[in-house]
Amino acid sequence: MEEIIDKKIIEKVEKVAKKKKADFPESYIYDIAEAYVRRELSDRELEKLIIKVRKAYERARVESGEAVGTVAAQSVGEPGTQMTMRTFHYAGVAELNVTLGLPRLIEIVDARKKISTPTMAIYFDDDHKDDEEFVKKLANRIGKSTLNDILKDFYINYAEMKVEAVLDEEKIEDKRLDLKEILANVEKAFKRSDIKESTIVFEPAKQTIRELRLLADKGRDLQISGIKNIGKVIIRREDEWIIHTEGSNLGDILKIDGVDEVRTTTNDIHEIETVLGIEAARNAIINEALRTLEEQGLSVDVRHIMLVADMMTSEGVVRSIGRHGISGEKASVLARAAFEETGKHLLRASIRGEVDKLTGIIENIIIGQPIPLGTGSVGVVMKPNKSKK
Amino acid sequence: MTTSKLTRFEKARILGARALQLSMGAKPLVKVSDSIDPIDIAALELENKVLPLDVRQKETEN
Repeated sequence: MEEIIDKKIIEKVEKVAKKKKADFPESYIYDIAEAYVRRELSDRELEKLIIKVRKAYERARVESGEAVGTVAAQSVGEPGTQMTMRTFHYAGVAELNVTLGLPRLIEIVDARKKISTPTMAIYFDDDHKDDEEFVKKLANRIGKSTLNDILKDFYINYAEMKVEAVLDEEKIEDKRLDLKEILANVEKAFKRSDIKESTIVFEPAKQTIRELRLLADKGRDLQISGIKNIGKVIIRREDEWIIHTEGSNLGDILKIDGVDEVRTTTNDIHEIETVLGIEAARNAIINEALRTLEEQGLSVDVRHIMLVADMMTSEGVVRSIGRHGISGEKASVLARAAFEETGKHLLRASIRGEVDKLTGIIENIIIGQPIPLGTGSVGVVMKPNKSKK
Repeated sequence: MTTSKLTRFEKARILGARALQLSMGAKPLVKVSDSIDPIDIAALELENKVLPLDVRQKETEN
């Protein structure tokens, strides 16, 4: 979208729309304004266009009383059945292993706290997005490196009971790490160590071979750089430099200078919720669900997914769909009992003396009344003193 | 609620209620011409805006 479209034109379109009683969202106004400029419409044509768009817009709206939830469930569920068949044959994305397909969709809908493959896509602001050196440096700071990654030589000296590690300065240079920082880190982690230039000598606390070997492993696994929870990083050149990570830590990444905090994302919805808030989590659910479906070549209308996301986030925290979330927290006893764990709910409700207001669908079906949906959601009143013709 | 346009649910509900009244002997508020089916008469009444019923949206939850 070009940003050339004048404010004046948008205002004009808004005015005409208002005159024609069309209550459009912003994007519609913008699109109409664009068409108005691009097609060089006359004022009369603009009016006509707005009337036509209004008609189409009103026709597309959902009528009150419509069973949107059922339709949404079917619209997500049916493509879901097709996913099961194809998912497990999927080869996976090049270097990073990311959960896809049905398992991922289930993960989103269940609002799992620990997702199986958290990943991030880190973007950079305008000043840094083409700066290879900066991005590489940052990637090494973010990604997890252990002492093992920068060793030139490493041996266990059984005779003198010590472990010797020789650091490779070339590798350090390549990873753009700082030798002093590394050594300081080592010193902090291992009290009984002796550092001479780039050679580190560790000594075990007890003079046993077992201790010595454990020490060797511990030394090699010492993390010398990286952000918590982030493992492997992959630098990719698309239209600009992007860092993909294994593991996710949105809060800390966003604090780094040069990172574009608008486009940088993670696939961990709970993390987005804690860092950016519930509205961001709602958008994340929509984006993630839509993307997993699209990757499988399935197109589901956004509005169905939006409904799911709205239900999941409407209480201010992300709730799962199912027993532990939305269905399990319903106000009506009968509605809960109809879903799962019937006996448990009925017993508890009777102990507490719960009252069921019978406002929902399921309750009314259970007791055999018309349901408040569709035709049933309409009440009829007699028109007072309507004079006859 | 006096909206200009009824939803399809409201229309069905109103027509049904009025048709029931007619079937039980209520006097039609329009001139009955060809069809004497209560639903047709109710539809005719709605068309002529003389149908003496109105809608009220109920509250739904869960």
